Amino acid sequence: MVIENVLLAFNELSNFTTIMLMIIGVAGGLIAGAIPGFTIAMAVVLTLPFTFGMEPAQGLATMVSVLVGGLSGGLMAGILTGIPGTPSSVATTFDGYPMAQAGKPGLALGIGVWSSFAGGIISATMLMTLAPQLARIGLEFQPWDYFMLVMFALTITASLAGKNLIKGLIAGVAGLLVRSVGEDEAVGMARLDFGSDALLQGFDFIAVLIGLFAFSRLLKDVRDPVDARRTLSDRGAVSVKIEHLGAIKVILKHWTLLIRSALIGVFTGILPGAGGSIANILAYDQAKKTSKNPEKFGTGTPEGIIAPESSNNAVEGGALMTLMALGIPGDVTAAVMLGALLIHDVVPSPTFIMEEPVLAYSIFIAFFAATFMMLGLQSFMLRVFVLVTKIRMYMLAAIILGFCGIGVFAINNIEFDLWTLLWFGILGFIMRRFGFPLAPMILGVVLGNIAELNLARAMAISTDLSLFVTRPWALFFLIVAFFSAFYPIYQNQIGKKKWTLFYSPLACFAASFPLYMMGGIPRPIIATVILFTGAYLLWRRAQSGWALNSATSDGT
Amino acid sequence: MRRLNQDAIIAILLLLVSGVLFWSTFSIRSPDYGVLAPSAWPRAIIIALAFLSSIYLLQSIKDGASAHDEAENPEKEPGLKAWLVYWKNPISCFILFFLYLVTLPYLGSLIGGVAFVFSVMSLLGGFAPRDMVNHAVLSLITVGGMWSIFTFGLDVILPEGVIFSVF
Repeated sequence: MVIENVLLAFNELSNFTTIMLMIIGVAGGLIAGAIPGFTIAMAVVLTLPFTFGMEPAQGLATMVSVLVGGLSGGLMAGILTGIPGTPSSVATTFDGYPMAQAGKPGLALGIGVWSSFAGGIISATMLMTLAPQLARIGLEFQPWDYFMLVMFALTITASLAGKNLIKGLIAGVAGLLVRSVGEDEAVGMARLDFGSDALLQGFDFIAVLIGLFAFSRLLKDVRDPVDARRTLSDRGAVSVKIEHLGAIKVILKHWTLLIRSALIGVFTGILPGAGGSIANILAYDQAKKTSKNPEKFGTGTPEGIIAPESSNNAVEGGALMTLMALGIPGDVTAAVMLGALLIHDVVPSPTFIMEEPVLAYSIFIAFFAATFMMLGLQSFMLRVFVLVTKIRMYMLAAIILGFCGIGVFAINNIEFDLWTLLWFGILGFIMRRFGFPLAPMILGVVLGNIAELNLARAMAISTDLSLFVTRPWALFFLIVAFFSAFYPIYQNQIGKKKWTLFYSPLACFAASFPLYMMGGIPRPIIATVILFTGAYLLWRRAQSGWALNSATSDGT
Repeated sequence: MRRLNQDAIIAILLLLVSGVLFWSTFSIRSPDYGVLAPSAWPRAIIIALAFLSSIYLLQSIKDGASAHDEAENPEKEPGLKAWLVYWKNPISCFILFFLYLVTLPYLGSLIGGVAFVFSVMSLLGGFAPRDMVNHAVLSLITVGGMWSIFTFGLDVILPEGVIFSVF
């Protein structure tokens, strides 16, 4: 069955137009990812209008290609100029740039490219094998569980805003509010439309996404008149040849690090809200902690390039896994992918892979193929990148703004979407200015209707509200949401307040409880392991005489 | 104290918006069928927004000036003029995009788009004759290219505009 689906998906994608679109997508993603300030999400969201007229598999393959290209493009700018092209390649610059400065730019790029490739392949393999299994678990979810899953996704995204937890939560709630404008999901009644016909249709969420994310970001980038006229080549980008053979040898020497970092990437991607920007730092940190020569980190060690590059390419496999198996986007980029699926009348859910196997496997195959294309195109695109670095920032910004003005109209062929773009562009700009994170708002906009629909379904089945806290999965998501909401406070107070000693053990005890409730054999075993971990942590802290630094020394 | 005012003002604005929106939920009609009233979900969200805004307000009052982060509040000198100078580029772009939208029914996507991109480039990059020529060529090629892709490649009917429709 799996082989049949893989073959059918291959057949779907094996035509000249699709392959060409994928090559253009990877090339475009590589360049977009390489330009500092132009994030991957921005590249993917701007590709969306081009895919309207395509077949679903073709359009999604193109978007996956841009995504894969973008994930790898960031390393070019990071290594050659010291300025990360995307937030997910920040850690790559820590050792990539010093290595390039030390006269080995070709080797640094080679290590980056091959680590990205390996991370992508590991991630794609896991996506293909684990997504159907995760979808099976997703089939157990009832409306109460789904509603709590959305709340968990929003809470964890907001909590990643760190010290701005309240601002993150406000942004998430504002996103839900934006999505509730117009006809309601369940019975079609007009809401918050203030008598306007345009508002009755609601805000198109792609226009909202482009406004909030791309439009506001571009205008932030051109704020400084001097920076706006600067080119990347002013910062020293030079044309070099990638050293493939030398890089492969180095990577094979550190294969365990490569696999570990890719796994960190995949599991970070599965978590809603946590994307490549977190994974690359996490992987770099882990690589440094486990290295025999941690003092060499920051001076141009290969391990410092392998870890972040393999993890950031692996992230999207994890994010797509949650999206395709549960219908919940793992990060902003996956949220845009959800938008693309919805535009093609495909609603991701646990039954998606079973009901639309060819389309689902087309996405898997596209992820694989795009990773290979990325490897082949890197050397060529490096030359294009050097050319692009000669273009001034304000020119790129103006052209992309112009594209937004045409592309957004193409979504529904109505002018109101362009006004939506402007208002949400202004809103996004103000939010950035006042330190409100945009990711929770974007997830709020994307997940708003899913939350409401499941709430309505749950209430239609039973008016008993206790089901939101007594069903095992709903309770599990509630507990994880609760602890993730308090995580920034815990992180801030760790080593200072006594209660932080009990945070991790308590989280383990609480999370094991709903797992026991689920029954069966594997879940109670996992619950027991989690329970014992909590007990062990508590015992360690008691042994150290409840010393405040025992929580930090455990690393929990 | 400046930051305290900013955060507190935003929190108060959010509370006001929550109030207006909550009031507007009373005009949402409820059908005779369905368990969850159409107003229930927006009301729940607005209550959550008001609750969080209240915490934000209290937090901003409590933290006061200590919450001020220079990096997040980079305008060097106070006053409207300094503020306008500091944010000149983004504000100009927003105004130009607004003008693009207002003139869209008359100029259409092609002429309006070229004019918009050219104006943004010139405003941000300068009005030197050589730059202006570069900007004109770039805007014509890029907007023209995008317009062609959407019109001929993707069969999207973009706004034609009064001027273009004459031809």
